[in-house]
Amino acid sequence: MDVSCWDGTLSLNEFSRAARTFAEKWKIGNSAFPPWLWVNVPKRPFVASQQVDGFLSLENICLIRPSKVCGAEVSHLEEEETGFSEKEVAIDDATLVLSNHHEMHYYDFHIVYSASYRVPVLYFRGYYSDGCPLQLNEIEKDLPACSAKVLLESKWTFITQEEHPYLNRPWYKLHPCGTSEWMKLLFLGEAALAEKRVAIELYLVSWFSVVGQVIGLRIPIEMMNDRTN
Amino acid sequence: MAKQERSGGSILQFSPFQSFVDEGFWHRLSSLKLNKFGIDDSPIAITGFYAPCSHSQVSNHLTLLSESLPCDESEQSSVPAISLGNRNRCSVPGILYNTNTLEAYHALDKKSLLKEEAKKIWEDIHTGKAVEDSAVLLRFLLISFADLKKWSFHYWFAFPALVFDPPVTVVELKPASQWFTSEEADSVSVACNGWRNSSLTAGVPFFLVCIASNSHATIRHLKDWEACQGDGRKVLFGFYDPCHLPNNPGWPLRNFLALICSRWNLKTVHFLCYRENRGFADLGVSLVGEAVITIPQGWRDLQCVPNAVGWELNKGRHISRVINLAKSMDPAMLAISAADLNLKLMRWRAWPSLNLDELSSTKCLLLGAGTLGCQVARMLMAWGVRKITLLDNGRVAMSNPLRQSLYTLDNCLNGGDFKAMAAVKSLKQIFPAVEAEGVVMAIPMPGHPVSSQEEESVLEDCRRLHELVESHDAVFLLTDTRESRWLPALLCANANKITITAALGFDSFLVMRHGSGPLNSSNDVKAESEIALSGDMDSLALADSGGERLGCYFCNDVVAPTDSTANRTLDQQCTVTRPGLAPIASSLAAELFVDILHHPNGIFAGVIADSTNSGGGDQPLGILPHQIRGSLHQFSQMTLVGHASESCTACSSTVITEYRKKGKEFLLPAINHPTYLEDLTGLTELMKSASSFKLDCNNETDDDDDDDDDYVEL
Repeated sequence: MDVSCWDGTLSLNEFSRAARTFAEKWKIGNSAFPPWLWVNVPKRPFVASQQVDGFLSLENICLIRPSKVCGAEVSHLEEEETGFSEKEVAIDDATLVLSNHHEMHYYDFHIVYSASYRVPVLYFRGYYSDGCPLQLNEIEKDLPACSAKVLLESKWTFITQEEHPYLNRPWYKLHPCGTSEWMKLLFLGEAALAEKRVAIELYLVSWFSVVGQVIGLRIPIEMMNDRTN
Repeated sequence: MAKQERSGGSILQFSPFQSFVDEGFWHRLSSLKLNKFGIDDSPIAITGFYAPCSHSQVSNHLTLLSESLPCDESEQSSVPAISLGNRNRCSVPGILYNTNTLEAYHALDKKSLLKEEAKKIWEDIHTGKAVEDSAVLLRFLLISFADLKKWSFHYWFAFPALVFDPPVTVVELKPASQWFTSEEADSVSVACNGWRNSSLTAGVPFFLVCIASNSHATIRHLKDWEACQGDGRKVLFGFYDPCHLPNNPGWPLRNFLALICSRWNLKTVHFLCYRENRGFADLGVSLVGEAVITIPQGWRDLQCVPNAVGWELNKGRHISRVINLAKSMDPAMLAISAADLNLKLMRWRAWPSLNLDELSSTKCLLLGAGTLGCQVARMLMAWGVRKITLLDNGRVAMSNPLRQSLYTLDNCLNGGDFKAMAAVKSLKQIFPAVEAEGVVMAIPMPGHPVSSQEEESVLEDCRRLHELVESHDAVFLLTDTRESRWLPALLCANANKITITAALGFDSFLVMRHGSGPLNSSNDVKAESEIALSGDMDSLALADSGGERLGCYFCNDVVAPTDSTANRTLDQQCTVTRPGLAPIASSLAAELFVDILHHPNGIFAGVIADSTNSGGGDQPLGILPHQIRGSLHQFSQMTLVGHASESCTACSSTVITEYRKKGKEFLLPAINHPTYLEDLTGLTELMKSASSFKLDCNNETDDDDDDDDDYVEL
């Protein structure tokens, strides 16, 4: 397909192929991270589609926050007393008492296909080590400095909160309304160097090179350069 | 680290298990509680998941997910379970006691519950079940209380561990790569990776590591213990260790040692704390240690259950945990964050200087809860306004729901609900976080004289309206008669509040913003001096000069407002208008209001000249018009400017001064006496002389919009 008449979107089938390519290249080029896994979505009974539906998942990415200075820190957990009069023996000599309370933030990322925009969308959520979800303002603190800038300045990337299309819980996502525009620009730029063809399998690799920056997941150069695979 | 003393080494200290509960677990529990369990609080069998440590700085957790709760046939996977295979999800049995009240939660006998679970482990060790299905060694306990009104969950984990008395001591503990020879280490890694990669064994957390004399290592199931004995063979007891610490093994080793010593009567145990990195065995992080056990008295006896410890500490303290998930589960809160994000989208994409804080904190008073009032209220809410007061003394009539967008048929029954109250209820149903109030009250009007018995209550209404105006930041005049707008206009001019009027004809409308008041209130001195300092003198509304102030709704009047409702034909009384008009006019009123809020000079803003030198220059606002008059007859619309009149019955300095000075002695005559206002302002004089007003228009004059007494609305 000629780049000049391409609208920057891709079909569900193309998405599945691009996802496979992306996951493979990620495994090879980005071994410091766990691999992206494909999750199949069970077909809904009233949907006539024959296509395989699913999304890419990368979970439990851990971010260690420097431990806060003790004092008037506000814990996200409300503490409460037991109301017990007897003193329970909680630990014995053989129990190590952990003293180092680093705060750990965990992140889950899903790359989901949006049928209405015909582009991939990055969904993500953060949570503390006990499972309590992180609010957006806390997540924003975890984002790399350059990403905050990108979010502020770019008209094309911003974070909204929406129901995850399959998990029925609120997740955050990078809004897809500008995706097709900048994907087209991206591919136009690359096509100038290489062929005029749109290598649709590489869609997600290119897409993630932009989107990943916002959430601080870098794509190594090797993943980008290898066009022949 | 390890404590000193004891012969044969220091006490082996185990790093406690840490819990992790995915949000999905609480969602699922809530839904099960609401739909299935009801008040049944019998214990529920649940499944926990864990995996060997995979990060050198972070321990792994015992994880609960929504799949941890029993599956319901009817809920058959509409939600995909992330099938990572069972290599990262080693299943562990647990039990959940979920109480119905907080008191019951605190009243649970934690000591005996722990003992009960410990007993189960003890029995599994003695019967041999723990050898067959070793995951039962990690049996855990969870108590919880789910507060489904506040969406908060109180919970507490216990990981029962049988206590050795005297405690187990450790002779040595070092990285596995240092303990094995390098050939052994390679072989062990290969064998472990094989064990981890096979779906048959990946979920088995306890195993034997057999190293033959030729350094070849194999991983065997616990039940193969006898077979592993042999010449020259080293046997280590391996387990998936969630802990990352270099000097301590993880919690699972505790019950493992209990199994080993009571099953196979060993006093010295070599163990392997198996840990991974990036999915592969990492013998540098994994530990090998030698433990020395003094088999406690009575451990042969099945009946003699050892003591157990294991309630999870909360940041070092022996207290319960609470997690609040209202933000992601409470629909009202979800609505709020959705609305906020929607507005932020607008700001990001189109209007960077959109001041959402200002919008959400501005208090708006809507006088009239009819076609205009309902629509304006909705539009304001869409803009993020959260504080809305509606005033109306009418009841919802049968014809209203069609045109008044906050009402439905239900509001019309039994004589009809009070509009102000029905409107507030409807607003809250649309957006629960709105702070909406209703006031059922009639607005005192000139030309509708009151008897002396009614005077007291009318004055009370005037006072109440005065206070309402004072306590809000912006007022919308949305009533259906001209005279009902008089007192509000006067009070707004007196208090110098942003005032927006919308009025409808049959197929034409007027939306306008009133100019600033004629006299300074103490607040305005500061605002005016700030504007003066900025050099923006053109737009400064100077008191008493009258000249540059923009006009109010009544400034064009040549007569004082009178009773317009008597002696009108039916259709005039019923104010029949084209249905499309009210939404158009209401929308313009709301948009005009938002623009005023964002104009640096606010109520003092002039019209064209000063909007170009406004602040950042990034206002996508064009002009900030004074009046917008539109007609559906020609689908046309134009903007006009009218300056304040010194003879205005509502906003001239004469009238305001008189109101401030004389209060009810001004109000009562104004209401009762037909010519009082005209005399006071000099309109009477004006009528006598043959002068005319000069109205400067931006566009061509529309003949229709000059004062036309028959045309009551405009």
